[in-house]
Amino acid sequence: MKDQPIDPSGRNGTVLNIQRYCSHDGPGIRTTVFLKGCSLRCKWCGNPESIRKKPELSYDPRKCTGKKACGLCLKSPFPEGAFYVAEGDDDKVKVNWHLAMDCDEALASLCPTGALEMFGKQMTVDEVLDEVEKDSSFYRSSGGGITLSGGECLLQPDFSAALLAGAHQRGFNTAIETAGNVPWSFVEKVLPHVDTVLHDHKMTIPERHKKWVGVDNRRILENFKKAYETFPDADFIARTPLIPGINADEEHIRAVLAFIRPHKNVIDYELLPYHRFGLLKYELLGEVYQLDDYKTPSDEVVKHLQAIIDEAFGRSGQQAANVK
Amino acid sequence: MSREIGHASFQRRIAIMVGAGYVPGINAVIMGAAIAAGRLGWEMVGIRDGFDGLLHPERYPEGGLLTLSPELVANLDPTAAGLLGQAPRVDPFHVRRVNEDDMVEEVDMSDQLLSRLQAEDIDALISVVGGRGLSILYKLHRKGLNAVCVPRSIENDIAATAVSFGFNTALSFTIEMLDRVRQAAQSARKIAVVEVLGEQSGWLALQAGIAVCADVVLIPEIPCDLQAVAARLHDKVTPRRPYGLVVVAEGAKLADDGKPQGKPSPLKASLSPLATGDASEHVIQRSGQAAEAVANGLQLLIAEETFPLVLGPWVRGGAPTAVDRQLALGYGAGAVRAVRDGKYGTMMAFVPPDIKFVPLAEAINKVRTVPADSEFMQIALSLGIFLGREL
Repeated sequence: MKDQPIDPSGRNGTVLNIQRYCSHDGPGIRTTVFLKGCSLRCKWCGNPESIRKKPELSYDPRKCTGKKACGLCLKSPFPEGAFYVAEGDDDKVKVNWHLAMDCDEALASLCPTGALEMFGKQMTVDEVLDEVEKDSSFYRSSGGGITLSGGECLLQPDFSAALLAGAHQRGFNTAIETAGNVPWSFVEKVLPHVDTVLHDHKMTIPERHKKWVGVDNRRILENFKKAYETFPDADFIARTPLIPGINADEEHIRAVLAFIRPHKNVIDYELLPYHRFGLLKYELLGEVYQLDDYKTPSDEVVKHLQAIIDEAFGRSGQQAANVK
Repeated sequence: MSREIGHASFQRRIAIMVGAGYVPGINAVIMGAAIAAGRLGWEMVGIRDGFDGLLHPERYPEGGLLTLSPELVANLDPTAAGLLGQAPRVDPFHVRRVNEDDMVEEVDMSDQLLSRLQAEDIDALISVVGGRGLSILYKLHRKGLNAVCVPRSIENDIAATAVSFGFNTALSFTIEMLDRVRQAAQSARKIAVVEVLGEQSGWLALQAGIAVCADVVLIPEIPCDLQAVAARLHDKVTPRRPYGLVVVAEGAKLADDGKPQGKPSPLKASLSPLATGDASEHVIQRSGQAAEAVANGLQLLIAEETFPLVLGPWVRGGAPTAVDRQLALGYGAGAVRAVRDGKYGTMMAFVPPDIKFVPLAEAINKVRTVPADSEFMQIALSLGIFLGREL
């Protein structure tokens, strides 16, 4: 399906972060634009700051100079009780997140040390694309481009579609990372502008999917199947975040392969071994990481599961090593 | 105005709700409040599963509100599990739901909550909550809710009250279990390292440790020096007494890095409204880390064998002790008196020798920790209990 013309003027969305020089989010060297808002609640989420749709407060105690040196947030206009200094503790401010959650950018900007900041801001399509354009020479030489990630980038379908259409107009390759849990109308709006769709198959059994992710996977699988069939010119790459004890098992990998292999435009299936890089971000948001006791998968498990995928894709030996 | 229910006529209708997690004595609070309300000619209703019974009545074929009639509470077993149930989350400002588009989201339902209370002619709410719930009720009170809170805490860490109900039961059970563990350590000729509840304050570890004359008690308030602990155990564990007992609060800190291994700030953890899972899961998953860290650390420093044990989650269940039962009953009845006197935005507090009402603002953002000059610490030292470093 060809790009439909989209007027990017005036469109804006909530952007969490723009990350340059990414090499794992699609072909070549890429700039990944992380959008705010997610429709799932994966307990292993490595980007907790991307979950809520609206910009949200973060607090880094390492930057706080304490009550004696500053203490601004202990007074009006900050909400009463939202920030405090604990008795007998150090001088640094602590946050009562129940009372502080509603602080907006105007309040956060009053913090002179930057301990209080907002995750996410409103940006226009042109602002984002101008930032992305800074690395256009790398895209040309490497076959890279822009990748929309999140959160769930399909939750902002108009903004995403405008961004990707604008990127195409500027000659960039486009990719998205999606978990697919959105109404089909959102998918339909964005995918005509996507060259590569990196999409998650997190779990096979619907009830287990609901337990760990928040909703079952029936609609997600319907969307993916329909997307494979509706957008034959796009490349699809399936992905699984591999978590021991949850989905790092042969049964799941084989079920995903059975689902994707009949579709020729699903060109690969990647395993993303679970990591714990998001832990600090949970602390900045005053949240508790739920998978604290879970470990990263062993090399043996990853190699074993990867071998099953390589076999299904007809790769072996050096061929498989080149793909990796 | 009076309200007709069946054959009865009530002058006023108030409600009671229970926060997340079971604490022994909840039924006694409900019983005390319902009896006291009944004697004032008021109708008392219980909200099922936190606020869920009010916010999601469609989930309850028998109704999300339970009328706590005199007949019902007269037959209520104060030693049984909570009559009203619990929800893993009780924050109406961040209610997680799956919307009509099958997408997960958090929505602010505080306005609906207040509207539902109004529609049900409920003009005051008694909330049986822990430290986290107090902040939520404080926020709701500032939004117009006539709220009175009853403090519940296994760890006795709620500020502004000397005792929260639930603590005495946990303490009694912990002491019983420590006695048994000591016998096991004695027969196995090993050093038992037992983790007890106490993420933010060490009352449970300290008082239980005193009761069983433990060799070492490690609490969050005193970052411990494992080398010093090993030296003390080396002195105490002899061929004539070839065993030891170390009690570790789950929030105990090691002095070398100043924070528990692999854990986020416990205060932040306690205040998190947006945890990706349920609060109860958080506690159970994390249990055992402190005991394991201390036991493994000691094993490298002493010759005797150490073994970690975790009492954590088991202490939360069971029937309340007589002390907790009367305290909970008193808190329930006292909360109704606070409502009668219009003392909203308050929390019941045991301030010896009396039960008082303190403003919620005095109870939030504080944790009742063991003070450095606590007599309990001095008593422990007098009994030869080592508190993690030389004091």
